[in-house]
Amino acid sequence: MRDKFLLAFRSIRERKARSILTVLGIAVGIAAIVSLMSVGYGMEYAITGELTGMADMISVMPGKIMGGHTYIEMGGFTDRDVKDLQRISGIKDISAMTYDSVEVAYQDERKPTFVFGGDTKDLESFYVEPVGLKEGRWLRENDYKGCVIGDQVANDFFDDVIHVNDKLVLNGDKFVVVGVFEKGGMLYSNDVDRNIFLTLRAAKNVLQTDEIKYVVVRVYDIDEAEAIAEEIKEVINDNHGLDDFTMAMTMGSMLEQIGDIFNIIRGVLAGIAAIALIVASIGIMNTMLMSVMERTHEIGVMKAIGAKSRDVLALFLLESSIVSLVGGVTGCVVGVIVAKVLGFLGSAASGLEITAIVKPEVLLSGIAVAVIVGVLSGFYPARKASRMSPVEAVRYG
Amino acid sequence: MGKAKTRKVECMIHTENLCKTYRMGDVVVQALRDVNMEIKDGEFVAIIGPSGSGKSTLLNLLGCLDKPTSGAVFIGGTDTASLSENALAEIRREKIGFIFQQFNLIHTLNALENVALPMFFAGVGRDVRLKKAEELLVKVELGERMYHKPSELSGGQQQRVAIARSLSNDPAIIIGDEPTGNVDTDTGTAIMQILEGLNREGKTIIVVTHDAEIAARAGRTKRMRDGKVLE
Ligand SMILES: Nc1ncnc2c1ncn2[C@@H]1O[C@H](COP(=O)(O)OP(=O)(O)OP(=O)(O)O)[C@@H](O)[C@H]1O
Ligand SMILES: [Mg+2]
Repeated sequence: MRDKFLLAFRSIRERKARSILTVLGIAVGIAAIVSLMSVGYGMEYAITGELTGMADMISVMPGKIMGGHTYIEMGGFTDRDVKDLQRISGIKDISAMTYDSVEVAYQDERKPTFVFGGDTKDLESFYVEPVGLKEGRWLRENDYKGCVIGDQVANDFFDDVIHVNDKLVLNGDKFVVVGVFEKGGMLYSNDVDRNIFLTLRAAKNVLQTDEIKYVVVRVYDIDEAEAIAEEIKEVINDNHGLDDFTMAMTMGSMLEQIGDIFNIIRGVLAGIAAIALIVASIGIMNTMLMSVMERTHEIGVMKAIGAKSRDVLALFLLESSIVSLVGGVTGCVVGVIVAKVLGFLGSAASGLEITAIVKPEVLLSGIAVAVIVGVLSGFYPARKASRMSPVEAVRYG
Repeated sequence: MGKAKTRKVECMIHTENLCKTYRMGDVVVQALRDVNMEIKDGEFVAIIGPSGSGKSTLLNLLGCLDKPTSGAVFIGGTDTASLSENALAEIRREKIGFIFQQFNLIHTLNALENVALPMFFAGVGRDVRLKKAEELLVKVELGERMYHKPSELSGGQQQRVAIARSLSNDPAIIIGDEPTGNVDTDTGTAIMQILEGLNREGKTIIVVTHDAEIAARAGRTKRMRDGKVLE
């Protein structure tokens, strides 16, 4: 057996160019499978992760959605509503926020826009983490006179571009800009770029109100979210003496609505995998067929000097396995690198954090495909050649 | 009486009404027509004849590299038609050493490994076969070139490696299809001398040649024409 290995290695090494080409042919196919699958899994994870990270959230708003998407505001929550919510069991924390339109002034210019106030920690995770700051820092709980502004507020509202340390006047109160958001677009039905973010206390001051416009509740147990949402509605509706004053939407119910997306993603992934598999298999078959067929003459010579068909087959199978294995492993390595690069480029292009996820089963099946397809497609021409009469095979080439 | 029997044992190879027909589409070529010949143990036979007369076809059948269309080849009294593919491979491996005009060495292996290859297929251990291969290469005066690849050897040297390879399982019969056809006259003479030496050691030798001078050195010459062997 050891002798056979030596002979097989020998033949692979001596036919360097051919062997490298064959290995590459196999590696390209496997790299395609591995990289596409890994990026695919990464995308799936990025999208589901983004959503499941919020699965314990219930959005509570004073109003209702009419005709499918138009939100009609019914008023605002009071501090009493928030206190009552704290008594509901199963709630981990409650974050109250408020927002309203406001007039912003910079030097002599005035513009209408929105103020958004809330717990700075919560706002940080809702807005700063996904959007990111271009300049300065995020608000602290004691920044009563500080504000962080959206991209349009900074760049488009006034003749001058607004930077950190510039002063804005909101409904007559002076604020210092401590940070500027990157361009963010719409987030939770709210245009980040046109907002000015304040602490909850400062926002209440500016807006001259104690009303809360938006409450985010986090629950301990996602399975209880639906029941808790019902209870929240009851408590607040009771407080306001109306039976449709508020809505409370669990993320779970939102997730269900977009559950189709996941099925589509999985379908696309399976399709990609199938295509990659077919492309890889054809490539491997082609290189392997070629590399064995062009050795028909050699097989003939071996038979002429006394090799049995099975001696020849054993030798070529061993050789094909080694080449396929090396090709498979090389393909996995290249595939992982390509996947990382694609993930990086994809993240940069989409703004979504896509990290290629390399699953061991993908690597293993990549290698398995390489070896199985490689050996089978090497076996076929080797068997054909080994069954020819020696003269016929020797005449070849 | 008993004479026929004795003759059969002495007879290394004999053929009975050997025919080989090649069919390519509508064209049928009768490469061998009813060849009956006997070659005795220890004989040195040269086969000559014009191009296309069927010399290679005959040698391929004698060497069990191909199957006849009809008729039979007997080797050491055994009808090769009755043998399985594997048994035929064993005959090629153990009883016959075949030398080609084109040398047909394995170009990825060096001289030593090429010579050792038939022993590898015979299951001979690595040390034993490499030692034997070395001896054989020394015998054909290539002791200095053992680790060279075929591409690094001259035609004559390659043919000597091929001769050494044909000897590696110590076969009783050496068959050469124009072994001197691709080398210059002096090298051809040297190769003939090696074959003559082997014949003196007792091996049965059958060679095809175009060279009358070389044919003259053989013990017996057979002339072929149009697929027939003339005496
Ligand atoms: N594989 C084949 N298919 C078809 N015809 C063949 C085949 N091999 C040989 N022939 C034909 O059989 C005849 C005998 O060929 P063979 O090779 O035995 O001649 P040869 O005496 O060895 O000639 P040369 O001296 O040129 O080598 C020729 O007419 C040749 O064309
Ligand atoms: Mg010929």
